[in-house]
Amino acid sequence: MSFKPKVGIISCSGEDCPGGSISRDATLVVLHQLRATDTVTICLPLFLAGSGAEREFARYFPTITVDGCRKMCAAKGTAKYSSEPAVKINIEDYTGAACTDDEGKRVLSEDTRVVEKVANDIASHVDRLRSEWR
Amino acid sequence: MKKVVVPCSGIGKAFGAVSREATHLLTEGTHSSDYRTLCLPLLMTEDAEIKRVIEDSEVYTIDGCPAKCASTLVEHAGGKPVMQIMVPKVLAVNRDHKPNTVLDIGDGGRLLCQDIVKIVLGGGGKER
Repeated sequence: MSFKPKVGIISCSGEDCPGGSISRDATLVVLHQLRATDTVTICLPLFLAGSGAEREFARYFPTITVDGCRKMCAAKGTAKYSSEPAVKINIEDYTGAACTDDEGKRVLSEDTRVVEKVANDIASHVDRLRSEWR
Repeated sequence: MKKVVVPCSGIGKAFGAVSREATHLLTEGTHSSDYRTLCLPLLMTEDAEIKRVIEDSEVYTIDGCPAKCASTLVEHAGGKPVMQIMVPKVLAVNRDHKPNTVLDIGDGGRLLCQDIVKIVLGGGGKER
């Protein structure tokens, strides 16, 4: 049986815009429900504050970054401190609106559909990355 | 100028979810005129504006584990937190306020958030 790596899901979890809450919730859905045995997460700040193991994982295994806004902190941080993500997701591409800090930060009921859509897309990317692994 | 609360928001642990929820209680509740937050990952991107905010503000950090990501990144950005709160240390004071999971911090976790809010509102200057 060939080796299939776990895929790292790295969420921005941005505290200052609702897109960060959506990215965090979608990531947790994948980690705990949709692909619990195929994925791991890494606290994004640990790339800088951690021991180095986090950087090593993302250097050798595929990662998916999930960002709440166009600043793309998770994608940039992962690329800067470890390696280029295999997939970069921006929540604004799903909501069709710019994420601003004028809005409430929590996920609202109308956002749950976006969370579900993003989570399903992440799960599809996980399946593809694992099947393409050589 | 508003005071800035920076949580670790650690996605792998319930304590990270508590740090995030406690921050939102401060920045979106009755104290929202005094406190604001910012995106912790933005501190990794060398964003000039956010570095200026960190350098010029009274910053409170809330960390969920000994890696102390929030405190470390604030210092990396040139800031010096007036108070560094460690969630496990707050829990140690009242062990009944134990959070459930990262998905649902539960009633205990919500009480722990209130404990943290009280500490921040009580003033800073030392590590808890």
